[in-house]
Amino acid sequence: MDPSGIFPTSYRTDRRVVRTRWQAIALAVFMGLLLAAPYLASGRIIAVLNMMLISAVIAVGLQICTGYAGQINLGQAAFMGVGAYTASILASKTGMSFLLTIPLAGFAAALFGFLFGLTAARIKGFYLALTTIAAQFLFHFAVLNLPSSWMGGSNGITVPPAELFGFRIVGETSQFYMNLAVATIMIAGAFGIIRSRFGRAFVAVRDDDVAAGIMGINVAATKANAFLIGAFYAGVGGALWAYLIRFVGVDQFTLFNSIFFIAMIIVGGMGSIVGALVGVFVIRVIQEVIATVGPNIADSVSFLGGDIVFAGMNVILGGVIAGSMILEPKGLMHRWNILKSSFRIWPFPY
Amino acid sequence: MVYFINDIITGALIGLLYALVAMGFVVIYRASKVFNFAQGELVIIGGFIVWFTTMQLGLSLWLSIPLSLVLAGLVGYAIERIFLTKLIGESVFSMVMVTVGLLILLRGLVLLLFGPAVRPFPIIFPLKPLFLGDMLIPMNLLAGGIITIVAAVGLSWFFNRTRSGLRMTAVAEDHVVASSMGISVKGSIAFAWVLGAILSTIGAMIFLSGKSLTFLASDIGFAALPVALFAGLESIGGLILAGVIIGVVQSLTTNYLDPMIGGSLGSVVPYIIMLAILLIRPTGLFGWRTIERV
Repeated sequence: MDPSGIFPTSYRTDRRVVRTRWQAIALAVFMGLLLAAPYLASGRIIAVLNMMLISAVIAVGLQICTGYAGQINLGQAAFMGVGAYTASILASKTGMSFLLTIPLAGFAAALFGFLFGLTAARIKGFYLALTTIAAQFLFHFAVLNLPSSWMGGSNGITVPPAELFGFRIVGETSQFYMNLAVATIMIAGAFGIIRSRFGRAFVAVRDDDVAAGIMGINVAATKANAFLIGAFYAGVGGALWAYLIRFVGVDQFTLFNSIFFIAMIIVGGMGSIVGALVGVFVIRVIQEVIATVGPNIADSVSFLGGDIVFAGMNVILGGVIAGSMILEPKGLMHRWNILKSSFRIWPFPY
Repeated sequence: MVYFINDIITGALIGLLYALVAMGFVVIYRASKVFNFAQGELVIIGGFIVWFTTMQLGLSLWLSIPLSLVLAGLVGYAIERIFLTKLIGESVFSMVMVTVGLLILLRGLVLLLFGPAVRPFPIIFPLKPLFLGDMLIPMNLLAGGIITIVAAVGLSWFFNRTRSGLRMTAVAEDHVVASSMGISVKGSIAFAWVLGAILSTIGAMIFLSGKSLTFLASDIGFAALPVALFAGLESIGGLILAGVIIGVVQSLTTNYLDPMIGGSLGSVVPYIIMLAILLIRPTGLFGWRTIERV
């Protein structure tokens, strides 16, 4: 709820993203800190921030598809992979600029996602989620079995660095600004999408698809759109990933990666863009801690070897998913909103 | 020609093994309306329990197999008590998401407890294949096929004819309606998971008998998924037909089509069938047609 004295007088003000002056200030400070981050923080932190920004783009896409439109999507990593492969093939074979390859990667992934979303015309509920698992397997099959001159097969593809007016975007700092720019555009776009006609249709379909259909919403098209948008975001994120790692291989886009993205939106809170960002932050920090602490533990229990990082990550993230569903199904964002409104109405209970 | 028939028979038997693992999906779905994404991990846990009781404790097979099944049932019950009981009354969506979480949680736990090492799995069924003329049929798959058919007929009878089975069917229809009619949703879900874990363990014994055991064997869970959807998630008897069809198609693709195109189309063919069946007949061959009310 809004603080006292702030109330909408028109639909426009009701749908505002930034509602109070303090929120505007907080947003400006946050963006300012992000812009200044390369001068404030060390290289290691910038590397983590790069991963967070890319994950944020992908998780926001998943949030629109799963959190807003209610379509379980277990293929987000495959959609990301389609984007990454599209970008790297275009960049390495035709030498196209990243200004073109990143949107094209998004469109390629969106087309792939849309194909699976189209099955929504026939299938309802979590059956739809199962087709996204099929997407995951078909993607792996296509990459590994098509002639390796097309998609690199099991060898993967090396990606040339992004280049803008003769300036090569290499190194953590310049990549950080590229990722930050793309992520900002994509996230601002997400706020636009969810407040539009499409966003309202998504929420209606999520809450009750039969009722939404009776109200005149084309349910199947809405679901397919949800997959299209979610996959577009994944594709853009995949392209950024390709430019960051400079190498794509099929092992980077597994079902487990898809589940990690699901963990992010569940922890942050379903049905909230900011929640997705919070989730990305929390999960990436957890992953970073495990990646740092893991090898030390691995030294003491040597029989596990290097797999302890992967195993520990799975245990903790699986526990986090199950734990959030049981203890706080609405996510951290919901908790924060409760805290905020109880602070505002204090000392009254409601 | 003999090879062709042999491929068909082997394919059908592998299909029956998929059907047995898929039965885990269906039993859990049939009694709780939850689609369990972590089915493959249950298979692998069953496999490790069998390995532990025979290889580590050194028990004879006659003792270790029943013990393993009991332990597997306990694991299923524990999972249900820890993760799912608390979600009764919440949306089915959250229960399904919890099983997605379980998928990676159990995978990680297995890796932490047992490590990535490759282990020999006890020989439960004779290694020597059965010779029929020029054809040879692996004993484990043959025994597995028989077990699958017996289990399918038995469970089918249980769910469709007995009073307690019909109670669980009511739970699968609607949790709220079932509990307002005095049916214990909790009991039904607990039973489903115990049964699902036991079936997975039997599947693991057939699948792994005399082979090696690593955590990668859980892939059979996703291989069995198309079978469950092809049959329709509510039908136990239909699994036999669906399993045989998918197994035969896969075996023929692997043996005749793959050498031609030089790829492993055989491993994705079940998924192509699954996508086709979802588009043509979303409820599968024998699934329920539900009427939705607002």
